[in-house]
Amino acid sequence: MPPRLRCPNLLCATSCYPSIRPSSLPRLARVSREFSQTSCQRATLRRRKFYEWLNGPGSLLKEPIPGSTNYLGAYDKYGNLVRARPGWTRKRPGDKKAEGEKNDVATIESEEQTPAGQEIIDELEMSVRRDEEKKNDARAAEQDDKLPPETAEDLRPFPQNKHFRSQPVLSEELREAIYQRVARDGMSVSLVSVEFGVSNERVGAVVRLKQMEKEWIAQGKKLAVPYSKAVLAMVPTTPYINPSLPENKGKRPITHEAINDLIVHPATRQQLFVPVSESRHFTRVDAGKAFDNDLLPADERIPHPELVQAERDIASGLSIEERRQLAEERMEKEQERRRQQESKRLEELKKVKTVAGRRWDFVFQDVNVESVGRDGRSPKGVGWRYGFPHEDRKKGQVKIPTKVEA
Amino acid sequence: MRKKPRFHSLKKLKIRQDWSRWTLYNLSRLNPPNLATKTYFQQKWTAKSDTRAYHGEQIREKQWKRMFRRNLPAVVPMDHKYLARYDGSEQAAGRGAGADAMEKTKTPPMTPYMQMTYYPVERRLDTAVFRALFASSVRQARQFVVHGLVKVNGKKMIYPGYMLNPGDMFQVVPESVMMATGAQKTRSSVARRIAKEKGTAYAESRKGQGRSKTASVKVPLLADALASTPEAQTPVAEEKEPSPEELKKHLQTLMDNVEGVLAEEVKAKDKQKLREFKQTVRKAISLWRTSTPSQISTLDSQFSFLKSHLTSSKSAQSDSASGPEVRLTREEELKLSRAFDRLKEQAEFDANWNKRDPSKPYLTPWRPRDYMSAFAFIPRYLEVNQNICAAVYLRHPVARPGLAEVPTPFPLETGQLAFNWYLRRR
Repeated sequence: MPPRLRCPNLLCATSCYPSIRPSSLPRLARVSREFSQTSCQRATLRRRKFYEWLNGPGSLLKEPIPGSTNYLGAYDKYGNLVRARPGWTRKRPGDKKAEGEKNDVATIESEEQTPAGQEIIDELEMSVRRDEEKKNDARAAEQDDKLPPETAEDLRPFPQNKHFRSQPVLSEELREAIYQRVARDGMSVSLVSVEFGVSNERVGAVVRLKQMEKEWIAQGKKLAVPYSKAVLAMVPTTPYINPSLPENKGKRPITHEAINDLIVHPATRQQLFVPVSESRHFTRVDAGKAFDNDLLPADERIPHPELVQAERDIASGLSIEERRQLAEERMEKEQERRRQQESKRLEELKKVKTVAGRRWDFVFQDVNVESVGRDGRSPKGVGWRYGFPHEDRKKGQVKIPTKVEA
Repeated sequence: MRKKPRFHSLKKLKIRQDWSRWTLYNLSRLNPPNLATKTYFQQKWTAKSDTRAYHGEQIREKQWKRMFRRNLPAVVPMDHKYLARYDGSEQAAGRGAGADAMEKTKTPPMTPYMQMTYYPVERRLDTAVFRALFASSVRQARQFVVHGLVKVNGKKMIYPGYMLNPGDMFQVVPESVMMATGAQKTRSSVARRIAKEKGTAYAESRKGQGRSKTASVKVPLLADALASTPEAQTPVAEEKEPSPEELKKHLQTLMDNVEGVLAEEVKAKDKQKLREFKQTVRKAISLWRTSTPSQISTLDSQFSFLKSHLTSSKSAQSDSASGPEVRLTREEELKLSRAFDRLKEQAEFDANWNKRDPSKPYLTPWRPRDYMSAFAFIPRYLEVNQNICAAVYLRHPVARPGLAEVPTPFPLETGQLAFNWYLRRR
């Protein structure tokens, strides 16, 4: 059945009288027809509000603030930068009131104590950074062209999510320093990690990426420097404190992240009630055993167990020479273990023959017919086997690779 | 057919993974979930639909359900000093005798596990490209992957659903990154026509020049040279020291080129001298058959290699006393190092030179696109090098006390409701 024709309210008066010429004027007033799929072209209330917001509070988010981050969480509903003074514009920063707020926050944080065994590294890092900024503020007060440093709220790109904030990334100088320390000085990754307060994996990644960058420079490839500068100006960065400079004498390097993260083991997720006699000396090792027989204590599962060992040596009252000797022994043992791993890996590599292809390498390795097992159905078997069809053309077989060799 | 709903709707408040003004406006409008007037099922449903509109909206629901894990990863930062001083028995000591009731220890901030519901989505290649700030939306990142602009560990990866493993390095073509994150070209038709006319005129003028130029000047780059060296090496099986005469000749040309490089001011247009210098460096290096191009890939290593070998060959020859003196004096070494510095400067200058170029698909000189700064954050599970547009996926995102690493715009309650939705039937 065709849809019923209905006379629209507006047009009723005009279109009812018989006219030869189509009256164009009233027809224009109604842009979309009822059966049309096109949505209303006029500015709705929602759309008006959207543009109001864009031209009002949203206009501040359009361009980055030079020398600072510019997240939604730093603004209130009316588009005022909370940490700046009321009459602040982009050209005129810096004030006293925000500093007072900042100090309040600092005192609150210093009241909070860290629970046993855990370090709240972010607080520590923030406080260190705040000290830095405090020193800078004296200078900034004279210059009067700097915003106060960001608080945790200012670093929230999503104001509703209290548990996420934009965390600092490594600055360009710090990356270079890490690369030089590993590549030029030949220090081990874990030592560099402790020195700069950067996790082990990150040190490795920084070195890998820096190496690639230097190769690009040697090859004359064009780097994306404008992009890099813009991004690093928009995100918070951890600065590098060069100890060789005279003004940085006695300063600690700023810790980038917690380096001793203990992964929560799935076995420890459950709550456990273990009756233990009061006289028993129940340690972390025993607690680990109670959860899972193979669960090691935290001292051995953290990425830097050597730090714990060194601290224990200090606590036991050994002299510096003895401690050094012990540390060297441990390092020697570690290197020996690494050397063995390396030689084992090389042995493995010798077994396979690699022929470089255009895109992929051909790898030849010895296979054994016997690897199919007794019943001939083990997935380790190679080649086509009678009665054991290939499944790769079957529905639901995923072809996306699960790993790419580096 | 029913019309497809708008991707960015003002009527329905959906937050998308992109850097648009619509998303920003919706972020500013987002409120905590309304729990008072809705049944539990309704709460869960809305939470699920809101979060799924943001997290992996391009993934089908069934696919996501397969990816969902109820075990959420978390870490606790440990203090090595505490671990060294105590063995953990002090926490139990005196329990039951009233010791635990006496003191009140501060509890650590809550670990927001419930914000980690969508952590498997962050493993996907397209999402990781977006999170590393290489694309302005997940859909764009996905397009980059599908179009073959993304490499994983140096190999082309065309599957946006590839799950990154810890330690995987992915890189995007820098030109595409600049296009994605840069301000757009002006959209007015007049400006476009003018730009097109100018572009064609420019291209024609270039065409006339280019033919004569390419015919006369064909200088291989260092990259080509390095790539070609292994083939050149393979026939020569023996590894021999170059003869002193050869060495001297090469050293002389090297030094001549150094003079040339140092005399010339760095200009954008002519790089002849630098290229020639690079070529001689390559030749000098290829004299020593033992060295492979992979070892001498960076300028620093090339310089140190040349220096060490030139000085060592000098001593070897003076011992044999067969040929003429091949020596590197202190000044010459200094000159060589300065020439290498000049090379580095040139590379930096090339990259920095943010010039106007109508052939580019983005607005030149390059500047970040509007509203980018409100979305610019790099989560901790990625380590990004913006210069080469490459990043390493360090580990899976984790929750730690007070902080969840999965970037999600929703409050904790919404995350919890969404998690509960997917927990159903499991």
